[in-house]
Amino acid sequence: MTVDLLTLNWGLLAPELTIVILSVIITLADLFMKNGGDRKAFAWLSVLGIALATYFTYQDLGQPVQSLLNDTYRVDSFGTMFKLIMLIGTGLVFMMSIYYVDKKEIKYDGEYYYLLLTALLGSMIMASSGDLITLYIGLELLSISSYILAGIRKTNLKSNEAAFKYVVTGSVSSAILLYGASFLYGVTGTTNIIGIAQAVQGAFNAGFDFYIYLGFFMFVVGLGYKISIVPAYMWAPDVYEGAPTPITAFLSVVSKAAGFAIVMRLLFTIFAAGNIATGEINAETGMPINFFSDEMTFYLAVLAGLTMIIGNTMAARQINVKRMFALSSVAQAGYILVPLAVVKINSPVVMNISFSNMIFYLMAYLMMNLGAFAVISLVTKANDTDELKAFAGLYHRNPWIGVAMTFFLLSLAGLPVTAGFIGKFNIFVNALLFESYYLAAIMVVTSVVSYFYYFNIVRQMYMRTGNTEAKLAVPFGLQLVVLLTFLGTVLFGMFPNVLIDFISTNFSVMDLFTPGM
Amino acid sequence: MLANAWLIPLFPLISFVLLVAFGRQLKEGAAYVGILSLLASFVVAVGVFFERFAEGAHDYITSFDWLNIGDFVFTMGFEVNQLNAMMLIVVTLVSLMVHLYSKGYMHGDERFPVFYSYLSLFTFSMLMLVISPNLLQAYIFWELVGASSFLLIGFYFFKPSARAAAKKAFLTTRVGDLGIFIGISLLFWQTGTFEYAAIFEAAHSGVLSPEFITLTSILIFIGAVGKSGQFPLHIWLPDAMEGPTPVSALIHAATMVAAGVYLVARLFPLFEASATAMLTVAIIGGVTAIFAASIGLVQNDIKRVLAYSTVSQLGYMMMALGSAGYVAGVFHLFTHAFFKALLFLAAGSVIHSVGTQDIKEMGGVGKHMPITKIVFLIGALAIAGVPGLAGFFSKEEILIATYDSGNVVLFWLALTAAVMTAFYMFRLYFLTFSGTPRHENHHVHESPIFMTLPMIILAVLAIFSGYVVYAGFGEWLAHGVISGEEGEGHHTWIMVLSIAAAFGGIGLAYLLYGRNNKVSTAEPKGLHKLLFNKYYVDEFYGTTVIKPYTLFGYVLKFFDKYVIGGLVQFTAWIAVAIGRLGQRLQNGQVQAYSLVTILGLVILLLSMTAGRLW
Repeated sequence: MTVDLLTLNWGLLAPELTIVILSVIITLADLFMKNGGDRKAFAWLSVLGIALATYFTYQDLGQPVQSLLNDTYRVDSFGTMFKLIMLIGTGLVFMMSIYYVDKKEIKYDGEYYYLLLTALLGSMIMASSGDLITLYIGLELLSISSYILAGIRKTNLKSNEAAFKYVVTGSVSSAILLYGASFLYGVTGTTNIIGIAQAVQGAFNAGFDFYIYLGFFMFVVGLGYKISIVPAYMWAPDVYEGAPTPITAFLSVVSKAAGFAIVMRLLFTIFAAGNIATGEINAETGMPINFFSDEMTFYLAVLAGLTMIIGNTMAARQINVKRMFALSSVAQAGYILVPLAVVKINSPVVMNISFSNMIFYLMAYLMMNLGAFAVISLVTKANDTDELKAFAGLYHRNPWIGVAMTFFLLSLAGLPVTAGFIGKFNIFVNALLFESYYLAAIMVVTSVVSYFYYFNIVRQMYMRTGNTEAKLAVPFGLQLVVLLTFLGTVLFGMFPNVLIDFISTNFSVMDLFTPGM
Repeated sequence: MLANAWLIPLFPLISFVLLVAFGRQLKEGAAYVGILSLLASFVVAVGVFFERFAEGAHDYITSFDWLNIGDFVFTMGFEVNQLNAMMLIVVTLVSLMVHLYSKGYMHGDERFPVFYSYLSLFTFSMLMLVISPNLLQAYIFWELVGASSFLLIGFYFFKPSARAAAKKAFLTTRVGDLGIFIGISLLFWQTGTFEYAAIFEAAHSGVLSPEFITLTSILIFIGAVGKSGQFPLHIWLPDAMEGPTPVSALIHAATMVAAGVYLVARLFPLFEASATAMLTVAIIGGVTAIFAASIGLVQNDIKRVLAYSTVSQLGYMMMALGSAGYVAGVFHLFTHAFFKALLFLAAGSVIHSVGTQDIKEMGGVGKHMPITKIVFLIGALAIAGVPGLAGFFSKEEILIATYDSGNVVLFWLALTAAVMTAFYMFRLYFLTFSGTPRHENHHVHESPIFMTLPMIILAVLAIFSGYVVYAGFGEWLAHGVISGEEGEGHHTWIMVLSIAAAFGGIGLAYLLYGRNNKVSTAEPKGLHKLLFNKYYVDEFYGTTVIKPYTLFGYVLKFFDKYVIGGLVQFTAWIAVAIGRLGQRLQNGQVQAYSLVTILGLVILLLSMTAGRLW
């Protein structure tokens, strides 16, 4: 089939194209500027461009599902929600970066800015892809950009180590993902996600059931890498530690959101919506056993539980803040996975609740985690150490930052009145509602373990005296990030309905399965 | 204007935030922040009141969805009705006076800005409680009122007695709060809503069974008993006098302790639906009124006498409400707020100057403090119920209401309490202000203008606030709240009796203490001793509640230390062990990381295959 490129509705790509143009402009400007020139303006330009792209994305809300090029690229409410998260997250990361990036450590600082933009572009493509190939391209665009960004402090040994480990482990998981994809392509004959969903039952019945199980597990493990869940979480501490702090923030929020976007889209569209009947009957209830909601959710639940346990217990042992937050973000991924692991696919309303809970938590996580990383980047740079004791006496050096950080930590720990509490509470109720008591219990117990390390930081801030009592000045960009994320964390904690209503009016899970116009 | 009523609590909140942020820099300038914010609130409250008071005005209620849990919607908002339009005036006015007064009284205190920030927080919570349109919001701020009063009572935390008093106040009112919490939870369970109007409708349309209404009303009343210092939970209020005196005027005269009465009045349609609940309220109120008044007869601490007087007057209000005298109870709440705040402030002025709270060591203070003496006298006359002053009007209405309810015992209780009130107030007055000094302090002087001005304003109100009855205040209050006609029979003989009670009490006090200004130093005996020791209620609680409770606490402590503690240790040990295991895997070798990933995949596949073969 030939497609006339001129008749395509390019307007659908407005957010992505904005980012492309932005990165091209910055690349060219970087080329023509002299080497020693100050490139901080790039960051503000990017923030502006991202604001424009956010505006375009916002316009997509409430539209029916539309697609380009035979449904390989989809604009649906699911992708749009995630793109909003990624755009806002990256915008905040740019504001954080302005003060972080300096010529001493990052010689070619122009690269930093446009690679961050291409990484963002990759994640947006992932959120919108309707085809395994498109999806993989987006994934690699994000991955390769982030590999370089992780190692962009060329003279720093830790940074080199981070980039190297990131590349190796990333390649392994890409291979697993591709291997799994090839099985599914082999048994269904298509790479289109909705196409696979339609053909998968036939393939299952035709005796290819083993390959479908194989494909499922390979997807889980391969995609699990980006969201850092068990068994593919081990890269996180090393990479988070070595990467520049704003990039760590990017990896923990934007890259993770992109990972969740494809985990949810792939697993759900193909396996859950494909609604595969295994052909077997449950001996007790007499109901037919469903591939996804009766069999596979068990494995997802096990992985989610292990992720929470390992992430939290290991985080409690760290003395390096960035490593601690790497493992904390592993644990957080476990929480976010819970609604998917308990989902029942019998009714769209119920599925909508599960998905909305995940999206709410991701939005809350965006606020609290970016806020925390903004403070971390300030504190670790000011004290020239990544260790916990960098936080000693922070409250006395700058009460505002101390209080804001306290709220971010409360939110991460899931205590009221914060957005994190509401998000975690919703997920917890979600698990109880679908009678997944073990998972709910693990959530509670591991949350208690997490208090230990989150409050360790609080203790440092209020009750320890640092080497200096001098006032800690905060650069403008960071002030803005801390202020915005603080407001988000607290206000969405007090008025969660604003956000819940926003999600429920603008997001419908059925969009995932609707072929685009 | 009604739509702007939310501004009233906003100003104290702003003041609180500003004082917390900049208190240290402002020092004593903090007073102006508090005073200005309260002035703004008061102006708005006056505007709201007059608009609501105008002919043909309606209640205003607005709210927004706060939380959706399942099908339940919890709302937040505010409302303006007759009752709370009046309360807003009372709270902002008294709080404003206290803010002014504290500028003089707390002068030189090291934690001056902190004191003002607590005052602002308290006022904010109280105002929010008053304008809440539903029980949930009211409960939240009810608790916040409790918390901020804890801070204020314990303001002199370096004194052990103040610490103990703050703790006692908090714990005792918590006992009541438990009741109110269960009560509103039950109501929510049955009606699915916290909105006042919807609950009243359910109560009157027969959705709720009569027994259920009785149960929930009494549970909520237990909360009011705790907050309003009613028998048997009154024990915290006299001890709470350990707080700074302006705090006593604000919290223990006009606002927090009135919250219990306010709540019963606000839920009046619910209480009214159950005769048993009404009778309970009336009896508890009547018993408290006479019980506390009798203790007040013999106490020697000027603030404690006032505290027992407050308990007794609150009992009066409850008794009126329980006897279906809605207007009488609320009206007394209104007038009492002014003259009791006045009496506390005047007592504070004396304490500030003489340096003791024991009336046995006072005497002759009036010569040096003419303004304080006059305003105290006005307050005492008002509370005694002397004709022409505010207390006379409201007290008479209460007597009429109790008489009309047909319960003769209550009526005589009320009358006896009125005699006692007049007696102990004038005992206080004569021992403090007249006669010759019994102290060595030669520096007794009149208080500064910041302290006398609020007292003068309150004194004017203590005289004239009763005359609002002639402006149709009673009918206005009752409109739409009271279903039937209130028995407004004219009982001239009741008026005569009440005047006789007032003058009888005053005369008795004059005979005993006014002529010869002596105090006996002998140990109290017999009935006197029983009263002096407050009927031994504290001691009774000490042996029946606190001691067994402490013993039980030891058992729990043991359990906690060895059983729970052991479990915690064990859990922590497990967490550490898992963490250590994870750490060992995390050996920094990138090939190991990939190996774990692949192994994980293999284990998943194997377990799946094993599961399918099974």
